[in-house]
Amino acid sequence: MPFVRRYKDMNTDLEALYKDIAKELQNEKELNIGKELKGDVNGVPFMSVTAHRDTIPKLVTGTLREVTVTITGEKNDYLIEMHTGAWFSNLALPYMGATILVGPLAGLAAAGATGLMAAQYGRKLKAKIKELVKKYSKAEYSDEKVETFTE
Amino acid sequence: MVLTRRYKDLGTDLKGLYKDIKKELQQDKDLSIISETHGSINDVPFNSIIAARASVPRFITGTLREVSVTITGVPDDWLLEVHTGIWFGNLVLPSAGGFLIAGPVGAVAGAGTTMVFAREYGRKLKNRIKELVKKRSDKAYSEEKVETFID
Repeated sequence: MPFVRRYKDMNTDLEALYKDIAKELQNEKELNIGKELKGDVNGVPFMSVTAHRDTIPKLVTGTLREVTVTITGEKNDYLIEMHTGAWFSNLALPYMGATILVGPLAGLAAAGATGLMAAQYGRKLKAKIKELVKKYSKAEYSDEKVETFTE
Repeated sequence: MVLTRRYKDLGTDLKGLYKDIKKELQQDKDLSIISETHGSINDVPFNSIIAARASVPRFITGTLREVSVTITGVPDDWLLEVHTGIWFGNLVLPSAGGFLIAGPVGAVAGAGTTMVFAREYGRKLKNRIKELVKKRSDKAYSEEKVETFID
């Protein structure tokens, strides 16, 4: 699930925001940080962290596979992208809460109640990032300063 | 982009196929492998690999961010999932070939040539995997034995 937000006129400490987001990922015991990229793109600061699941899930469909958070821009105009990847999410039938598979593979699917589910984790992380943006911004947070891009 | 395929009655050497796909990812100088997960889920063999971009890209929007390939199942009934993640893909306006953003963060968008890289990479990998499936299968490949799942 890719989720992109643009923040303007927030005067945000982006380095500190990035560090806290990376810490948030590190605090999740089922995740391991696999890659961090820092630099600039055409003179615009760029920071990206990818964390991945470190262990075999008990059930596969919809379980969190990896998370990437990217921050790019300047303190008064920046973008945050959050991607949460789920294994075999397109085998799930959302309206039935079931999966398509039968035969030997049916054991992979089962119900989505256990494990670190991508949708649930993405929701939690999105709320945490909002909190952290407020914490590290000198200007007051308001919806007019935030634009959300969806697919 | 997420591509999930189910292959039946092919008698595929799944370990051999996984090794070949890993080699394919290793050969790309822009990628580095950050995670490999091997085991079983409810007695169904499970192998997954994640490669992330090794360095900060020159342009962001549409550039390949990470690739994951997962193979699970038994030689005559198995699933393949290929995910290619793209930075800020939802800021692209496909019809105009342009981007939604301007101002300081506009520079991270840049030309669309790198976007072709991400899309082309996914296409190239998909075709390469098809070749490898044929190579590693004891039985003849036919479209009837393959089912593709989309989002």
